Amino acid sequence: MCDVMIEVRDLRKSFGSNEILKGINMTVKKGEKVVIIGPSGSGKSTFLRCLNFLEIPTSGTVRIDGHYFVKPNEKLNEKHVAALRTEIGMVFQRFNLFPTMTALENVMAAQMKIRKKSKEAARETAEKYLRKVGLAERMNYYPSQLSGGQQQRVAIARALAMEPKAMLFDEATSALDPELVGEVLNVIRELAEEGMTMVLVTHEMKFAKEVGDRIIFMDGGVIVEEGHPKEFFHHPKEERTKAFIKKVEH
Amino acid sequence: MNLLEKLDFPTAFRELSPILIQGLGIVLGATLCGFFLALLLGTLIALGRISKVVLLDRMLIILLEIVRGTPLLVQLVYMYYVVPLLITIVGQLWDPSFRFTLSPFTAGVIGLGINYGCYLSEVIRSAITSVDKGQFEAALALGYTNRQAMWLIVIPQAVRIALPTFGNYIIMMIKDTSLLAFITVSELLLRTQAYASQTFLTIESYTLLALAYLVLSLPLAQIVRIMERRLTRHV
Repeated sequence: MCDVMIEVRDLRKSFGSNEILKGINMTVKKGEKVVIIGPSGSGKSTFLRCLNFLEIPTSGTVRIDGHYFVKPNEKLNEKHVAALRTEIGMVFQRFNLFPTMTALENVMAAQMKIRKKSKEAARETAEKYLRKVGLAERMNYYPSQLSGGQQQRVAIARALAMEPKAMLFDEATSALDPELVGEVLNVIRELAEEGMTMVLVTHEMKFAKEVGDRIIFMDGGVIVEEGHPKEFFHHPKEERTKAFIKKVEH
Repeated sequence: MNLLEKLDFPTAFRELSPILIQGLGIVLGATLCGFFLALLLGTLIALGRISKVVLLDRMLIILLEIVRGTPLLVQLVYMYYVVPLLITIVGQLWDPSFRFTLSPFTAGVIGLGINYGCYLSEVIRSAITSVDKGQFEAALALGYTNRQAMWLIVIPQAVRIALPTFGNYIIMMIKDTSLLAFITVSELLLRTQAYASQTFLTIESYTLLALAYLVLSLPLAQIVRIMERRLTRHV
């Protein structure tokens, strides 16, 4: 129908009198990988969380594959928001696996509860995605028995099992020990190659350069600059971007 | 005659044990019903207070202060003698022949349920707020509604956190059912009193009564410990 997956118009978000996002416009095409970078406190995580309405914007609109979370001048409908969230997978910095469930149960739970799949069908899908992230042998382990990298891969499988139209990654590797970052990035890279639409917030500049179709640099609640990774990292236009790249590249 | 020579535990045991065993059903019944009611009320009060509706929160705080600021025994007496009268007065505004009564057992269960519900609500509230906020968000991100995320993801974890405390409250409630004697529920204390005053086996009767409570609460404490270990294995 249309080739736009995520469309954000004039998004603003305030906490009390503190305006975190000051009017953001962004369009993500189907299959596009957008990487958001920026100093801490720039609003990039808040922005990402607005994309699936975990953070409810103060004003502005977010559309997923043509569907508004909340149509302009209409009231928020919780059931509709929940249903639309199902179409977007999210991976958190701190994994947030359900500790009382095994890896397999973590991946099955929402499929059965939200997608209304039978136990057998949910199990089949869960096994497929756990295999994909390389954890078929660990599916009966509890999160507490898995390493951080393994937990994050289960979390990715859990999101993928809902067969979302797009994936959001909120600093997915920031809480990991350095030696575990690679295994998670490999899974994300593989997803990217398969054509999944993705928006990533990350501090891994090398990775950003490698998987990103487009880099967005945020600072002070606005998009300062965006562009193709090569262009962006080698020929930044804005002073703030230059300063940031200089800081992170050594 | 010397008190010591008159001690007759065998007789007291033979005669009082069947009487106590008959009363056991009432103790366990009152505890079960009372605790179920307390859990229900406690959860509702906790959710009401978490909901951040200011007026509701204020009203619940007043309820908690009233319940925590008065003795359980007074509350039970009030529930048995006063509340039915109040309801009768209100009912008679419409129908002059209206009369309302509560059986001692029902009044006791409601009294225990409200009292323990208020204490449990604080346990439940702190258990819910101690569950990582990320759990709620992860559920929302998967498409759960707020209510589903709360009941299917957060509350089961909160229950695991609160369970040992629940166990201790159940044991406390078993012991507090002895207060129901004051509103004429024929539980263990009232039965023992009756037996002791007929036979003058005072030392024997009340010692056996105390032992009966120990026999009830010690195994329960053990069960709570085992459940605690099993449920918190992976949290």
